[in-house]
Amino acid sequence: METVLQQVINGLSLGSVYALIAVGYSLVYSILLFSNFAHGGFLVIGGYICYFILRSIGGGIWIASLAALMGAGFCAVLTEKLAYKPIRERTNVTLYLLIASMGMSIVIENIFVIIAGGRFRALPPVIPTQPVSLFGIATTSMFDILSLVTAVVFLSGLQIFLTRTKWGLAIRAAAYDLRVAGLMGVNVNRLISIVFFTAGLLAAVGGIFLSVRYTLYPQLGLITIKAFIAAVIGGLGSLPGAVVGSLILGLAEMLTAGFISSQMRDLVVFLLLVITLLIRPTGLFGKDVKEKV
Amino acid sequence: MFGGYTEGIIILLCINSIAAMGVSLLTGFTGIFTLGHAGYMALGAYVSSLLIMKAGMPWLAGIFLGGTGAMLVAWLVGIPTLKLMGDYYAIASIGLGEAIRLILENWQSVTRGARGVPGIPPYTTLPVALAFFLVMAFAMFCLINSRYGRAFKACRDDYLAASLLGFNTAKLRVLSLAISGFYCGVAGALLAGFLSFIQPIMFDMIKSTELTSVVVFGGLGSMSGTLIGTGIITLVTELFRPISQYRMLIYGAVIVIIMIFRPEGIMGQKELGKTFFRDLTRRLKPADKRHGGGVKR
Repeated sequence: METVLQQVINGLSLGSVYALIAVGYSLVYSILLFSNFAHGGFLVIGGYICYFILRSIGGGIWIASLAALMGAGFCAVLTEKLAYKPIRERTNVTLYLLIASMGMSIVIENIFVIIAGGRFRALPPVIPTQPVSLFGIATTSMFDILSLVTAVVFLSGLQIFLTRTKWGLAIRAAAYDLRVAGLMGVNVNRLISIVFFTAGLLAAVGGIFLSVRYTLYPQLGLITIKAFIAAVIGGLGSLPGAVVGSLILGLAEMLTAGFISSQMRDLVVFLLLVITLLIRPTGLFGKDVKEKV
Repeated sequence: MFGGYTEGIIILLCINSIAAMGVSLLTGFTGIFTLGHAGYMALGAYVSSLLIMKAGMPWLAGIFLGGTGAMLVAWLVGIPTLKLMGDYYAIASIGLGEAIRLILENWQSVTRGARGVPGIPPYTTLPVALAFFLVMAFAMFCLINSRYGRAFKACRDDYLAASLLGFNTAKLRVLSLAISGFYCGVAGALLAGFLSFIQPIMFDMIKSTELTSVVVFGGLGSMSGTLIGTGIITLVTELFRPISQYRMLIYGAVIVIIMIFRPEGIMGQKELGKTFFRDLTRRLKPADKRHGGGVKR
């Protein structure tokens, strides 16, 4: 029983980090209707900025993470302006955007291979990882609780931004129809920049936690495949879906690792994806879009 | 005839072209975007090399069974998953490709896991690779100009209209995936015989991405474009080997730049043939009376 509870907490903590990444990815999907494969790059950018500030400048974790969040956000906007904007202005074929995003993910990964080298780096011990006892029932690490809390804070922040502000309203409108939102007077380019900034920022939060969990290396971005899968399980373009999908994924992964074998965890994740898509092809919360003839 | 290095590059070119033709049929001609085809290459490589080494099969039978094995798996996988459309299938295909790789990595008793399979007999010589390439390219060009090829294109251009015209689109999509699985399986089997050593990590998502981006680079819906694209990318990667650090960076940047400036790829949907050269010469003729030389679409 104790181990179950412990694995559940671990799973929720991992799932909440996936959720931070999946929500940003899903947000971009809901506006531009393409899978942004460069999303993993934003996470790596966040992780490396945090690492360099902690190591070479010697700032505290607050400064480092603030810089990482802003830096990743700006890089996301820059990626959009450089690679996606020229394409989406020319054509509405989302396949081209998808392929360009694959290219961008290779570019970002290899920029870090060149400037930082391919080796694994451990972040300085800025986030406490000592074990804590939860009311005497289970022990878990401080890190897991912190990442869960941080994810909840950022996700609620996003929720408030989307529901209480004018730009949030515009984003929700654009998720229904970008063109119509543009016709209603929304500055579409600025809106897309804001969406990418938000996505990059959330990815960087996830990136910092992931680089503490798994150490930091240029290919860390590949882990976003799991966030993509979570978003697909939850239904592409749906934010609650992305969160629920991520939590399911995190739990499945940790419970498999705890009770079956840790080598099987990735396999279980992919099986979960295939099974979900077979039962509900649009994901758990996906909009059932009927094609017009 | 050639030096060892040149020979190696030509063999690699043949193998890459066979795999790219498979992906091109699926992505370029049937309009199903895939990011997991390295998985089928892995299947072909493992099935053939294990059959040859453990069951003592002749290598030719091994290659065919490797391709057939990949085709069977693709067919089984395709029936349920090809109901998915667009990005959903793309993500699912990543999952499937990675699942195949992970199974190979964890099924230690048969595949030796991540350590890989060494000592595969080097059956992929230059004549073998060339023969396979020529036969399979010929078959592919026949296929895309046949009734089936046109049916695939109909599925790509308008799924609904094609099914209204009486095409069994679901079946056609699965068929296309199965054939492309066969091509990738054979390519994998040839690769195993060329390198004499295979390892699951060789067939990861980066390889899948490479297969798809080569097809996009050549032009979606052009088989000769696919071959040209494979040729250019394989040779350029070889040329950049001395500055291997920047190789992948340039490669990624090239994909982005192509998408920005010429998203339809090198050839667009045209094939290299009589009409292509006629159009080209017509376009090159100066002072044409028609308004604007090259009509932009």
